[in-house]
Order: sequence, then C-alpha cells, then structure tokens
Amino acid sequence: MSGEPTTNALWRWIETQREERTRQDWIIDLGPFVMLGSLVVLFTILSGNFLTYGNLVDNVARNSALLLLVALAGTFPILQQSIDLSVAALVNLSAVLTVILVSQIGVLAIPLVLLAGMLAGFLNGFVFAKLKVPSFLVTLGTLSILNGVALIITGGSTITFRNPGIRSIATGEYIPGVPNLVFWALLIYGATVFLAFRTKFGRYCFALGENESVVELAGAKVDRYKMYPFVLSGLLCAAGGLLLALRISSASPDVGEGLLLPSIAAIVMGGTALTGGVGGPHRTILGVLVIAVLQNGMNLVAVDPFVQEIILGIVVVAAVALSIDRRKIDVVK
Amino acid sequence: MATNTSIDVDSDRDGSTTAADADAEPCLRTEGVSKSFRHVQALSDVSLSMYPGEVVGLVGENGAGKSTLLSILTGILTATEGQLYVHGEPVEFTNPREAAEHGVSLVHQEIDVLPNFKGYENLYLGRENDTMGLLNKDEMREEAQAFVDELGLDIDVSEYARSYSFNEHQMLEIAKAFHISRDTQNPVILLDEPTSGLEEAGRELLFEKINELRDQATFVFVSHELDEVLEISDRIYVLKDGEMNGEFEAESATSKDLQRSMVGRETASDYYQVPDQTTEAAFGETMLTVRELRHRDDIGPVSFSVREGEILGIVGVEGSGKQRLGRILAGALPATGGSIEINGTEVVPDSPADMVDAGIGYIPKDRKSEGLLLYQSVLQNTSLAMIRDMFGRLPFLDMKSETKATEEAIEELNIKTPGPKALVHGLSGGNQQKVVIGRWLARETPVLVMDNVTRGIDIGAKEEVYRLLRNLTEEGISIILIGDEMPEVIGLSNRVAVMADGEFVEDPVDASPSNKPTEEELIDRMI
Repeated sequence: MSGEPTTNALWRWIETQREERTRQDWIIDLGPFVMLGSLVVLFTILSGNFLTYGNLVDNVARNSALLLLVALAGTFPILQQSIDLSVAALVNLSAVLTVILVSQIGVLAIPLVLLAGMLAGFLNGFVFAKLKVPSFLVTLGTLSILNGVALIITGGSTITFRNPGIRSIATGEYIPGVPNLVFWALLIYGATVFLAFRTKFGRYCFALGENESVVELAGAKVDRYKMYPFVLSGLLCAAGGLLLALRISSASPDVGEGLLLPSIAAIVMGGTALTGGVGGPHRTILGVLVIAVLQNGMNLVAVDPFVQEIILGIVVVAAVALSIDRRKIDVVK
Repeated sequence: MATNTSIDVDSDRDGSTTAADADAEPCLRTEGVSKSFRHVQALSDVSLSMYPGEVVGLVGENGAGKSTLLSILTGILTATEGQLYVHGEPVEFTNPREAAEHGVSLVHQEIDVLPNFKGYENLYLGRENDTMGLLNKDEMREEAQAFVDELGLDIDVSEYARSYSFNEHQMLEIAKAFHISRDTQNPVILLDEPTSGLEEAGRELLFEKINELRDQATFVFVSHELDEVLEISDRIYVLKDGEMNGEFEAESATSKDLQRSMVGRETASDYYQVPDQTTEAAFGETMLTVRELRHRDDIGPVSFSVREGEILGIVGVEGSGKQRLGRILAGALPATGGSIEINGTEVVPDSPADMVDAGIGYIPKDRKSEGLLLYQSVLQNTSLAMIRDMFGRLPFLDMKSETKATEEAIEELNIKTPGPKALVHGLSGGNQQKVVIGRWLARETPVLVMDNVTRGIDIGAKEEVYRLLRNLTEEGISIILIGDEMPEVIGLSNRVAVMADGEFVEDPVDASPSNKPTEEELIDRMI
C-alpha cells in the first residue's frame, strides 16, 4: 500500500476522510463501537457467564429495553437543544397509573396511560415553547410534580395487580426467542428512527437544534415543533412505565429511579450532542448497549453497587466531554 | 482593469514625515504574508511597511482581507506564509499578548471595555499589579492616572467605564494599547473602523488625539470612509481580493483613486450589469402592494408596490427603519397596521410562516446567525423552506423532491460544493449566500426581500450574485433590495426608495439604466 498510495482507492478514501473529519468526528462515530467491543471482550474474560444466551437475552436485552425507551424519549428534546429531565418521573407515574387502571378497567388502561404521558409531555413542551422557560427548569419542576402525584396515588408503597392476560403483553414472546419487552422496544426504536429521518418533525428537530431563528424565518411553526419532542418523550416514557409495570405486575412510586442519568449518558454516548443538531435516535441504541453491558458486567463481576454509581458518573462526564460540540460552546451554559 | 497606481514610497517621500527620516527602519514590516483558510485564499503575498510617526491608512472592500491582515499583525491568526518584522527583527506572534509586548496592538471596531470595571481596572486588565494575589488598587489607580495624563488623554480612571462617553472609551482603549506596549519604543496601534460609532465632534476629537500622539506611535487607520482616511493618513494601502493593490500618498490621492483601486473597475455600470437590467416594458403584473404598513410609532406608514421582474431598492442611514421594514415583510416583526397584498391576496403579517405561505422569501443580513444551519448539509439548508408544503398537511418528507430541488439549485446557482451532503459551513461566503437564495427558489417564491445580500462575500461572488439577480428578475421574480452600500443598490435597482425615520422620504425614484440617481442625490434625502 505504501508503494503506490495514490492509486489505491481504499487508501484515497482514508486520506480524504482524514482530511475532512476532525478527531472528534472519529471519536463520536467510532467511540461507541470501540467501547462496546472492549467491554464485551473485558467481561467475557472476567466472567464466564457473560457471553451466554441467558445472560445476553434475559439480562442485557431485557434490562436495556426500558433504558432504550427512556433514552429514545430523551433524544428528541436533546436533538433540538433542550432537555427533558422528567423522563424517570414520567416512568414512575405511568407505572403507577398502569397498575391502578389495569385492575379497574383492564386493557383500556393502555391507551389511557399513554395519553396521560402525552399530556404530561405536552405541559412540559407548552411551558418551554410558549412561556419560554428553559427546558431543564420546566422539566426539573415537572419531575418533582409527577413524583409527588405518584406518591399520593400509591401512598408511597408498592401496589400490585393480577391479570396474566395483560401481563403477557410484556412478558410473553410473540416471536419465539425474543422477549416481548425487547420486541416492543425495537419496534418503537424503528418508529423513532423513521420519525427522525422521514418526517418534517424530525427534520425540524435537527434544524432547531442548530439554529432556531433560521428555522423560523424559513416559515416553520417553530413553537409547535418545539413542543412535539416533549409530547413524544411523554408518550415513550409512558410506554416504558407501562411495560415495566406489566412485566413485574406491580409498581412503586420510585420504580423508574436511576433511569435519568444512564439515559442521558446513553444519548450522549450514542452521538447526540447536548449542544443539539447532530446525532439521532438511530445512534442512541449504541449508547444504551454500552450502558447495559457495563451495568450487567459490573454486576457479574460483583462490583460494589455504590462503586458502580461512581463509575457510571465518570462515564457520563467523560462521554459528554468527548462529544460536546465545541463550536457551539457559547450556547451551553 | 485597474491601472497600476502603486508608487515607490522611498523615492517619493517628502519631508512631511519627519520621524521616518530620523529612523529609516520601519517599526513594523510584513514580507510576502499569505493566509488561506480551508478553501479560501484570504491574503496573498502582502508586503507593507510602517514607519515611526506615521499614520497609515488601510482600505479595501468588504472581504478584501483587511480583518485578516489586522488579525495576523496582532497575533490572532498566524500567516500561512511570509514573515513579520518589528524594527527589523523577524518576529512570530502566536497570540495578541505577544504582539502587544512587541508593541503591536489593536483597538477594536466594537470597543471592548468592561463597563462595570473602573477605568484603571480596564487599563490593567489581565496585567494587574498585585502583591501575592491582592490587588494594589491605589498604586494602579495613581499610575494609571499619571499614564493617561502624560498621553494628554482627558479621562478619569477612577470612574466606572460605563459612565464614559464613546469617545472616552476609545481613548481608554488607545491608552490601553500604549500601556501594554509601554516597554517598547514606538508602538504600532491599529485602529479598526474607529469612527464608525462616532458623531462629527467625536471624530474630530479622535483625529486631534491621533495627531497629538503620532510622535509617540504609529497608527494604522482602517476605515470605509475614504475621505476620513485621506484626511488623517500620510500614506494609504489598498487591499483588493486579498492582495496589495496600491499604495498612495494621501496628499496627492483622491477618494476616486482609492475607489478605483479598491474595486478595480473603471465604471460602476459594468460592475452592476446595468445594461442587462430588466426595463419597465418587461415588467409583469403588480406582484406586491404594501399599503400604510406600520409598526407601532417607529415604522411607517409605508406604501409602495412592486411589479413582477422589478427590483425596488431601499436605502437609508442606520436606524432609518429600512431593516425593520424588511423584517415586517418577512413576518419576523409584527405589523401593527396597514396591509400587504401579494399576487392579489391580502395577508396580515403575523408570523414568518404566514409570509412564507403568502410568497415572500427573506434573506437576512446576518447569514450566519439567521440564514443558515451552518453545520448541516447543503440539502437540508436548501430544502428548509420547501418541506413545509410537502404532501400537504401530512408529516412526511419527500426525499426525492428535495434532492431534485437541491441538485437544481446547485446547478442553476452554480453553488460550488463537493455535493448536496456537504456541510454549508465549509462553503465560501458567496456560495453560502447562494444556498440561502436557493432555499427560496426551491419553493418557487415570487417575492424576495434581501437585506444586504452581498454582505461579507468576495468581489467575484458579488458579481455572480448580481448576475443571479438579473436572471431572477428576467424570470419574473420581484426583489426588494435593502442595502447599506449605496452604489450597489442604485446600480441594481429599477427604482430606489429613501427611508428616514421609518418612512419613505418620497415615492421611490426612477433608477432605470439611463436615469440612475447619484449617490449624493440620495444621501441628501437620507438626512
């Protein structure tokens, strides 16, 4: 190759890529793959149980299904340069609502829970887009409100229901070998990727994350499109809470605790920068897998759960530091 | 083409610059300085010399490379090629501080004084006088006052900078420049558009100070106002398209000489392609009618109409309301009264979406902050306005039609890009502007409102844009051309309206090829 570098097509391609892309581009594009690969190798060596069907499907895939839904929910607000911090609280409330409603009205609970999630998301979006309150403040507020409501409904304790028929929506296997939880998560994943790249909503999401006034002057109804990501986030989190409650036939007001940080980590690691405009839901799944493998692996090799918290925090900050779009650094404060 | 107006400095130097005779060595010299950004050659082979005691003028069109040159001289940018010399010593600046320590500093166009800091605190900013981290405030204040007094500048350094007048800010900046380089002999102080924010009296005061201080420093005076440059400078360099295009003795040069050297053309008529201008006979129906349009008490009432294929120019001083009128037409600023009729349909401008639907495309003055999604592709930028109408109210994107529209725009507007997927960020200013125009053409927009459409793009690209405007009008598109550069607006327009205090001074005047108003005629009406 070194003898005649200019005639080799592959070599030329590498050369142009080198010229056109910055080191950060490479980190963002290849980082999650490298990280996932090394974690898999690492845990395969450290634990004989890691690379087994049982572990990968029952633990990694099933556990990451919920994280995937929540991370997909968070991706769209971040794409348009806002953020939804209320995702875990939305999961809490939806799970609680599911348990209450399923025992009252059965299968009709499903659309009602999803609707409730969208309503909560709409409120987030409305305050953010119309009243111009920074999204992290709005959603920090709703986080507290939603958790409060969940606590009131349950009185702070775990509630349960019995309905094996409905429960099988989350626990069964429509496709043999694929847990329904994973099936739903992947289906929704496909839908969000479609939304991001084949709809006006998706296009405006990216554009808004880049520069709002440009989009407005181009004639888009900006306020409306700024609201949609939050409605979608509400819907996806409600779906997450619903599936979670169905899976375990119960819910407590803190059932979704600890989802917020890993979900943001997954989004950012996947390549959607907090500065907005780049990345997308198709990449979020990579970040989710990294987090899921990391958590699963640490459990297998018996890392102290408190230490796990620290490691996760480090991973989040490192991922943000590596991927943040420094061209837009003025915007993020 | 430009006649060679360069003259030999050394042979032509008369006794007027006495300091230069005492020390024939230039205090700052560049030799063959070039600078290229990724795709753009911003400066090529620029050599110049500045002698102690001189005021050197530096002029050039927008995009001629003045800012790049200033940035290289003060260490903000590093030259790709060439060498800087200070008092004959080769130097290399990697940051503004190093340049300042060698005596070269820049006084910015937008004065950067911290308003909530006192005068002396600003003077010492970044170089505070301290004892183990504690500021020696009294010492600094006294030294600062003495320093300023010695320069003969009338400022009270113990006042907060926010209470200073614009002039005093400027004096403080100049004092700062002297202060930073107080250990060097004969500092070089670069003044970037120092008069742009000044009234007449302030300008005179500034010139007075420059004249008083010229035996202590060399000033480089950068300005668009050629008469000012001629008044204050001893010698003037002209930059054009990144090259040194001429050097003039201020005493013998006229502003016409400078202009010709800057633009490089004999007649404005060819430059603005006046012979190809659409004439009244070729206009179509009335496309846009604006009646009694107003925004609160600031703008209006303004009434006018534009026909298919016509260009209506709007000029006026800063604050005359011409830009806000553009924003009202774009829907970005709400109209509080009056009406707009486009193609026979009446619209009430309420949001940009309404106006885009009605058929107005707005090309903002600041391309980077309002015109483009810089880090997104040419395709995403071009299709941004057309996606609103895809499949009616359905939420889907029509990928085929947007690809087609983008390819057509690249072809028709001659946008130089590696492809539709390339990021707009990497394109030159002219090509970026074509993308913004292409966005509206992709939507078949009949009326374009352009605010300083050639701002910050190089001369070659400007000519292309002029050609493009001519072609657009031939196709029946109506253009409202808001501009700060009078000759450009006059040259391009069919009629020109002068705005002052939010209103048209009179009905738009005729500007057909045989009947162009002069700049002076319009300026008389502006004030």
